[in-house]
Amino acid sequence: MKNLIKKELNSYLNTPLGYIITILFGIFANFFFVKDLFITGSASLRPFFLLLPWFLLIFVPGQAMRSFSEEKRANTIEVLLTLPYQETQIVLAKFLVNLILFFIALSLTLSLPLSLSFLTKIYLPEVFVSYLGALFLGAFFSSLSLFFSSQTKNQVIAFLSSVVCLFFLLLLGSDFFASLLPKNLQEFFVPLSPLYHFQNFVKGILDFRSLFYFFSFTFLFLFLTVLELEKRK
Amino acid sequence: MIILSSVSKFFGQKKAVDNISFKTKEGEIIGFLGPNGAGKTTTMRLILGYLKPNSGKISVAGLDPVEQRVAVLKQVGYLPESNPLYQEMKVFEYLDFIALAKNEKNWQDIAKEVGLSSVFNKKIEELSFGFKQRVGLAASLFGNPKYLILDEPTSGLDPLEQEKIRNLIKKLGQKKTIIFSTHILSEAEKVANRLIIIQNGQIVYDGKKPKEKGGVEKLFKKKVKN
Repeated sequence: MKNLIKKELNSYLNTPLGYIITILFGIFANFFFVKDLFITGSASLRPFFLLLPWFLLIFVPGQAMRSFSEEKRANTIEVLLTLPYQETQIVLAKFLVNLILFFIALSLTLSLPLSLSFLTKIYLPEVFVSYLGALFLGAFFSSLSLFFSSQTKNQVIAFLSSVVCLFFLLLLGSDFFASLLPKNLQEFFVPLSPLYHFQNFVKGILDFRSLFYFFSFTFLFLFLTVLELEKRK
Repeated sequence: MIILSSVSKFFGQKKAVDNISFKTKEGEIIGFLGPNGAGKTTTMRLILGYLKPNSGKISVAGLDPVEQRVAVLKQVGYLPESNPLYQEMKVFEYLDFIALAKNEKNWQDIAKEVGLSSVFNKKIEELSFGFKQRVGLAASLFGNPKYLILDEPTSGLDPLEQEKIRNLIKKLGQKKTIIFSTHILSEAEKVANRLIIIQNGQIVYDGKKPKEKGGVEKLFKKKVKN
């Protein structure tokens, strides 16, 4: 497993794409928060965290799109699947590497709470829980993107499928979508959205239902990815 | 021992492998011959558990390649057709990755024996076709596998390199069971001690290699009808 993780990490570090995506994420995430900071005059990280899922909508699929689709395109998937590794190990290694890269990208935004702490007093537990929520959100997005990456040998198709799917899932939890639905349907659809559950974390609430939601959906897409590898025509 | 009993494999409506059966013996070098699309690669992938058969049974050293894939892969070295490699990796990174997966401690010695010491620090994408083939071949030898499955091991190589690979296969065949596919009939004549000829997914010949010069070509032409 360590061997697989090392190989996956190297494959990202050997290409400029991984660095570019991560640095762009850091730049945009910092910029879009800081640009409104002095206009709104509110020294809170909530606007940043509320914007974060929409950044991740592009960032995570962009990072994960090549995980399996590139292996399929170059047929190195045959090398991987004829080594004595279980499909579960292969999927978990790719997932963990995506999570590590996401963690690195997210750590580029730690400059925000740090600089805010010089301006005002920030409530650390809330920031900590929000970052924890961001990690769960990133894990869920990664597992879903890995699944779509396992479906095709075309990275662009993998990316677009993940973005569209995640966009609709986020939309389910948006105020705009909720306002279109009658109340009984709202109660069914809105909790299906990762946005709804992430907002609990942003409020500083560690809700068991939200934890369960992220764990179960992350597990579900990892499981589906393993099944896809096991299927093999 | 590798045993295939009435194995069939479909891709949609197309029958890629049609009810084939054979059994290997220790120390055999089997030349697996057939025209393009005959089912050679599919059969090899079935033995490795990379593909699942629609019917029939496969056993590799008493293990089922589908149910016990990892255990089977510890005993089989494989060089896939067209030799896919991680092009962005350096040769030593790639070989180290495969060696760790197959628990091979002496991988550097094997790589040297295959003639890779001069390119250890080069990126795979920078290598010539012949060196890439050697990388794939070295990787297939890691973990001291009992069985070697080589899908067109000399394809695209110049005559000198083909000769080197053939000699290596012969040498390895003294200790291992080898199944190799090839389009070069003279290669099968030089290397194999048993031939399996497959056409339209069916085995049309399974037996000893003809002893006379040019015998393999005559046999192939006789058995493989257009």
